[in-house]
Amino acid sequence: MKLPPNVSQADFSAALKAFASVVGDQWLFTAEEDLELYRDSYSILWGEPDERTASAAVAPDNADQVVELVKIANRYRIPIYPISTGKNLGYGGAAPALTGSVVLDLKRMNRIVEIDERHGYVVVEPGVSYFDLYNYIQEQGLKLWIDVPSPGWGSVLGNALDGGVGVTLAPYRSHFDAQCGIEVVLPNGRMMRTGMGALPGAKTWQQFKPGFGPRIDGLFKQSNYGVVTKMGFWLMPPPENHATGVVTTPNFRDIIPLVDAIGRLEQSKIVQGLWTLSSPTTGTPGFAAHEAGPSKQQDPKILAILNDPGGIDMDQLEAAAKSKGLPFWACDFNFYGPRKLIEAQWDCVRDALREIPGARFKLNEIRRLPLPPEELAKTRDLGPFGIPTLRTFDLGPMISYEGEDVVGHIFFSPVIPRTGEAVIEAMDVFAAIARKYKLPCPPLQFPSSLFERAFLFAVGLPVTRSATVNAKIRDIIRELVAISAERGWGEYRTAPAFYDLIMGVYSFSEHALREFLETIKDAVDPNGIMSPGRYAIRSRHLREAGIV
Amino acid sequence: MTRRTVLGAGLALASACTIAFGECGASARRHRERRSIDALLIDESIEMLRQLPAFITASGRTLPVVGIRLDAAAHAGLRRVLDTSHAIVGISLGATLFCLERIAWDHGFRLTGRSQRCATDPGDDACRHDVAAYLSGMHPLAAMPSQLIRTYRPSRADGLLHTWVMQKSASPQLRQGRREIHETAA
Repeated sequence: MKLPPNVSQADFSAALKAFASVVGDQWLFTAEEDLELYRDSYSILWGEPDERTASAAVAPDNADQVVELVKIANRYRIPIYPISTGKNLGYGGAAPALTGSVVLDLKRMNRIVEIDERHGYVVVEPGVSYFDLYNYIQEQGLKLWIDVPSPGWGSVLGNALDGGVGVTLAPYRSHFDAQCGIEVVLPNGRMMRTGMGALPGAKTWQQFKPGFGPRIDGLFKQSNYGVVTKMGFWLMPPPENHATGVVTTPNFRDIIPLVDAIGRLEQSKIVQGLWTLSSPTTGTPGFAAHEAGPSKQQDPKILAILNDPGGIDMDQLEAAAKSKGLPFWACDFNFYGPRKLIEAQWDCVRDALREIPGARFKLNEIRRLPLPPEELAKTRDLGPFGIPTLRTFDLGPMISYEGEDVVGHIFFSPVIPRTGEAVIEAMDVFAAIARKYKLPCPPLQFPSSLFERAFLFAVGLPVTRSATVNAKIRDIIRELVAISAERGWGEYRTAPAFYDLIMGVYSFSEHALREFLETIKDAVDPNGIMSPGRYAIRSRHLREAGIV
Repeated sequence: MTRRTVLGAGLALASACTIAFGECGASARRHRERRSIDALLIDESIEMLRQLPAFITASGRTLPVVGIRLDAAAHAGLRRVLDTSHAIVGISLGATLFCLERIAWDHGFRLTGRSQRCATDPGDDACRHDVAAYLSGMHPLAAMPSQLIRTYRPSRADGLLHTWVMQKSASPQLRQGRREIHETAA
């Protein structure tokens, strides 16, 4: 049996026995075939000595049991690693950040604690998935919508704590920003509530985020300061209608005024739905096409420019596109709400963007919600309708890289400025890396507008079962991180294998941020039992022992 | 997923392959008595497999056939099947199997058999024969081998047809349906 670092077999056995006494023998997992399920299927370290794996797993039923388990972990100095549903493949999945940790599997805690249609919020336990919450709302006929990530099988609470995002309206897309109130078991076994929840009998826990005094909710995002056992989220009323609109422009450098103008609309809260950027030169339609279908047959001349091994000459591509009557850019917008609001938003978009020479506009049909099932069945992306799916896994056979089957992806996820200049620079920088290593990427990649004031430029890199190829991918990510940091671009989220690498670039004032986080860690978790190593935060004894 | 054809419980998979594919009847009948497959799950994204429930319904046979789609509506039905079954078989694309297997883990299931067969050409008789032959020989294992981990991992074979069997292991179900709501304010 694998042991946690610096823990004797006798102490480990005693701790497991104590864990079982709290949850029942059947909810303690030590058999190899059970622990196999706590590996990250997309691990970039799969099968290597550095792959993070668990020594055991324990599944409590409620927060009181979590309190008891945390106290036992302190008594025996056992590292525990809470997971909610463990489905964030590529960002660690169900695997711990430190090998030998005992996974605290919270799937059994899947109660929807409270849901309030009048004030638009829900309180959930960690095991509630987006599927669970969506189906509950549908079954009860509640007039509420949720914002879902893709894929949608994960935990509502866990996704927020990981910094996950969705695709509907801006105030709900950042799932941690949409939270309102946390219940957490601290590393010393004490239970705490944030915000108004600190007031016994509070009537506004899920209605007033700031609470009284410092706002500390953010300490529990991407961290290891406690086990979050309940979390409230603001939900939105179901919109009356939905429409997509498309704006196209002819020139490559139109991206600069385009992003500026849309940014002003977003800052003014006129554009609130997600919009996406694409190029009709690639032959792949944007989401406003609604239904899945084959890419358009591309012009051979355009194809040759896109696949030029020396890189894409954007002037040539622009000229070739013009000769075929194709615009260079397409922006697909989502609009929600009463018909007159959608029409007014669209008018504002037209007014703001008509200054760009050659801009063209098309508002698609305004459709009454909810869409009938037959329409939903043929809609390729249900995320904009607040419906969770796993269709992201159904995009066709995965490809190979370096002769190896691609078994998953790992994301390099830098945040870049919300400007056209940054888009041009990032497209150039990341395309050069893709060419250098012959990565299986489309020739043109675009940033995403998921965040409100910055772009996310996520690059999916292949994961295989070959240690050699995976080592190469790790080197590529190190190169990408360094190149990005030189330009002032940092990642918003990463896989456990890169926690330290990326925390290392957030180094302002000689790593003041990391040292502050470690100071907090030492204060609230002196025994270092809570998720050691998660997001590169460790207690003193692990830092001094050099255990990562 | 929709539970499109539910004609009984605790029924023989062999019936399904006899009816649906017309290729494996003798073998199926021979083994019917010792099988206790609870449901056949079919991937609704494969045109060929959509024919299966109709075959079963038409001949009045008794096999629960459950269509799988990777969305929320399907998930509710899938959860019910996983909660109430002990052994299930399925025909799906690899990508669907990858998702389904991970969902099924939380209900105590483990993949105990799998075969990737052929391209999913709706008119491919050889493929149907191949699948039927596989299903005719499939039955739950007498005991769950302790070391048997046959997880499916994505590969270039994702687009192929996969036939598989999953069984509940000795491990308890981590997910047992949705838990109670403490309070609902409207």
